[in-house]
Amino acid sequence: MDPENIKKMIENGLSTSFVKVVGDGSHFEAIIVSDEFTGKMLIDRHKLVYGALGDSMREDIHALSMKTLTVEQWENLNNKE
Amino acid sequence: MSDAAKEKIQSQIDNNNVVLYMKGSKEQPMCGFSAQVVKILSSYGVDYATVDVLEDQDIREGIKKFSEWPTIPQLYVDGKFIGGCDICTEMHFNGELKELVTK
Repeated sequence: MDPENIKKMIENGLSTSFVKVVGDGSHFEAIIVSDEFTGKMLIDRHKLVYGALGDSMREDIHALSMKTLTVEQWENLNNKE
Repeated sequence: MSDAAKEKIQSQIDNNNVVLYMKGSKEQPMCGFSAQVVKILSSYGVDYATVDVLEDQDIREGIKKFSEWPTIPQLYVDGKFIGGCDICTEMHFNGELKELVTK
């Protein structure tokens, strides 16, 4: 599994404004920015991403560590740095 | 998921305030993500139960369906699913997790 494939699956399943995925083929880290996360708790945000990845999450991806941010949180984070 | 697995999980989370489904044990975690959550929970000095999913294939698959969550570790507090390693870590750093398990 290529990080680029994971990025595409996430972008296909969610309305995102920024996605970055890095990884070694089985362990991945992702930053996902989407307004669909607004007003949702972290578990529900992660479930949206798992939903977009479907069966791949069970079969091809051993581990995916993610940061799920709304557009507002993302902008605040970038302004701070 | 088998009814037996479902009942077993339900009784584990009913009978323990804090339950961590993990790979390995507190003393010997078998995965870095499980180890990280053990480290966080242990730092609070509270009692918590762990279930080693590597020892029970029914629970290993069952818990994923039970929580509708595809990965291990998984943390339950007061019968409620809290999340996996990322969420526990984030809630540790913002103070929410300590408040939840020590209240």
